[in-house]
Amino acid sequence: MTYTIFSTMKKLSNNAMRRVSYKLSAFSLMVGVFSTAFALFSPLAAAETNITFRYHDSEGPQMRSALDAFEKANPDIKVTMQRMSWGEAQQQYLREAAVGSAPDVVEIVYVWARPFSTAGVLRPLDDLIAKSPPGIKGWNDFIAADLATGRDNKVYAVPYATDTLAVLYNKELFKAAGISKAPSSWAEMRETSRAIYKKTGKAGFGFAAGTCGTPSIWFYLNSYWWSKGWALIEDAGGGKYRVGITPGQIAEGLAYYKNFLDEGDNPKAMMSACLLGAPEIVEGMVKGDIAMVSVPDFTALRIISTFKERFPGKPLPFASAPHPADVAGSKMHFGGRMLGISPNAKNPEAAWKLIQFLTQPEPAFTRFLTNYTPSQRTAVAMRSYPEGMSGFGEQLKTARSWGPYALGPVAIPLMWNATGRAAGSVFIGEKTPAQAAGELHSLISSELAKNQK
Amino acid sequence: MHSPRFVAAALTPAFLFLSCFYLYPILFNVGNSLTDTTLFQLKNGGEFVGLANFAELLSSPDFFRVLWNTVFWLTFVGVSTRVLLGLALALALNSRIIERMKVRTLFRILILVPWATPPIVAIVIWRWMLDARVGELNKLLLALGFIDQPIAFLGTAAWVWPALIVIITWNTLPLMALSFLASLQSLPEELVEAAAIDGASPLQVVRYIYLPHLKPTIIVMILMSTFWTFNNFVYVWLTTGAGPGYYTNVMATEVYIKAFIDGRLGYSSAVGVVMALLMGAFGILYMRIVTQRSRFGGVM
Repeated sequence: MTYTIFSTMKKLSNNAMRRVSYKLSAFSLMVGVFSTAFALFSPLAAAETNITFRYHDSEGPQMRSALDAFEKANPDIKVTMQRMSWGEAQQQYLREAAVGSAPDVVEIVYVWARPFSTAGVLRPLDDLIAKSPPGIKGWNDFIAADLATGRDNKVYAVPYATDTLAVLYNKELFKAAGISKAPSSWAEMRETSRAIYKKTGKAGFGFAAGTCGTPSIWFYLNSYWWSKGWALIEDAGGGKYRVGITPGQIAEGLAYYKNFLDEGDNPKAMMSACLLGAPEIVEGMVKGDIAMVSVPDFTALRIISTFKERFPGKPLPFASAPHPADVAGSKMHFGGRMLGISPNAKNPEAAWKLIQFLTQPEPAFTRFLTNYTPSQRTAVAMRSYPEGMSGFGEQLKTARSWGPYALGPVAIPLMWNATGRAAGSVFIGEKTPAQAAGELHSLISSELAKNQK
Repeated sequence: MHSPRFVAAALTPAFLFLSCFYLYPILFNVGNSLTDTTLFQLKNGGEFVGLANFAELLSSPDFFRVLWNTVFWLTFVGVSTRVLLGLALALALNSRIIERMKVRTLFRILILVPWATPPIVAIVIWRWMLDARVGELNKLLLALGFIDQPIAFLGTAAWVWPALIVIITWNTLPLMALSFLASLQSLPEELVEAAAIDGASPLQVVRYIYLPHLKPTIIVMILMSTFWTFNNFVYVWLTTGAGPGYYTNVMATEVYIKAFIDGRLGYSSAVGVVMALLMGAFGILYMRIVTQRSRFGGVM
């Protein structure tokens, strides 16, 4: 049987197979010619640029919609969005950039731009800015432009969203405790919180007091210290920096916040929460279990929108105000995000187009990232705050840049972690405020001495 | 006998594998520990600082607290709890009562559930259960009137280590119990029956028959468990983040904090080298015991 098949095939091969072979060759040649022509002349075949964009905030779907709009406006560019939590973002990017596999465009926080530029993991943007300036009124209109500039005076990132923390409070709980206005001094805040707890049984000033790499107590302590004119790191002039606080002053801040936990007006359960937008904070405000919190504007908007969804038609009980003030006024930081391009980006022009798109208020912020404020003075001045949010606008007027913290020689993550750990050990009673403050002061002083050349 | 050339050729692939994946990383880490490399200098590398990182580490008061947390809390308390509970569970599962009730198979399947649960899932479940705001444990204690305020189990000094030990034990106890159970089942039934005829009490049976029989397994499980626990990072980091403060900081989390939060890769490598040396000492002890038991024909 097998033999018969083979012998038949052999007979066919001389004529039929040869004809088939000729036809196949001709077909292949035609395909080749058409493919080449298509590749050379068809507009559809224009080389498509793929860029990767790493985004860390929780508004992933909104950002994806913004990227879709960008792709529609730039059909030759496709953007792949990579997601990662802020907790892992810095180390992951540094590792990838060290071996040339970082995403083309990366979202970073304000204070990373300077150390990233020193580490050589961001591409200088001066040529791109000169060619086509970003934003509404060009580079000089950007907030925190100083933090985006490296030691070599080159620009390494573009600030795209700014925020600050303000006090969001529940007017009804305040009223129930016989209090008519937001506290304007630290002593008043302490007393307000205590009074609310005593009269209503609800938490007064609720703040996340837990420990992690990026604890929120860092912001509250700095707000306290800055308002009194103290700072962990301050500019000493001539490119030098110094520690601008004494151990006693550090201890004063630690003891101040510990007292809320000790007296119970910030529940001990808050020792389990660590981040600014922790569910304990958001849910506590929505349910009316906490009278006041200190949160970024986008978290406040989330609290307000959740309240509206859950209690439709009910009057909004929230109002906002700047943080308590002292001799230096009410102080909080300009927080925010920047966008940078990695040195390994193969298409920096396409990456730049994306950055330009995302730094324009229209449509990025008006249609997609509506909880955020563009990091440009013109945009901040134009921003209208919804009901209950006017305090954020006021706080932005007195907010300060991280300045020497970010530009000086002591890495912010180290200070942030160490401050949070010091607070944690004080809150659980493992160390006294004086002990923890002494250790923190000593650590920062030694890091400063070591790194300041 | 094979020729030396054949032996060398046969060993070469294994040697290359070990060199690439064990020797090189170890040497790289040791080299790194002698530099001041930081996370921000990854591209350029750090400068040689000799033994400065080790000197700083060994003179730091924090190091001894980290060592105490690792050796005493995580390893000693953690392993002891698992061994004792594992023994109790194995003896219970091997008992006649369980056999008579015909639930032995069911119980064996049930104790496998925690072991089959990935650590991250176990940690998330326990974090929720221990949560002060919505945790079931707090709700139960409040309902029973044992407490009048919820307890932040993972945020208070008195509770955080016991809570961590509970989580680790829940997830890893089954391996211990099943190993002891397997060993118990190799015990000749006649020995236990003879002891009963001689009038031995249940406690005496455990003391003079079960425990001597289980001894080799117990030794091996203690040593292996010590390795796993000493090096463990996942449970502590994902449960407490080494907090509150540095209260639950152990050597593995110290390596992570120094490398990826403080950005000091050189110093972090030094911590890693010290960890490896300590584990090396354990390893020597382990090999000695294994060798001795093999020499005397012990069951391993």
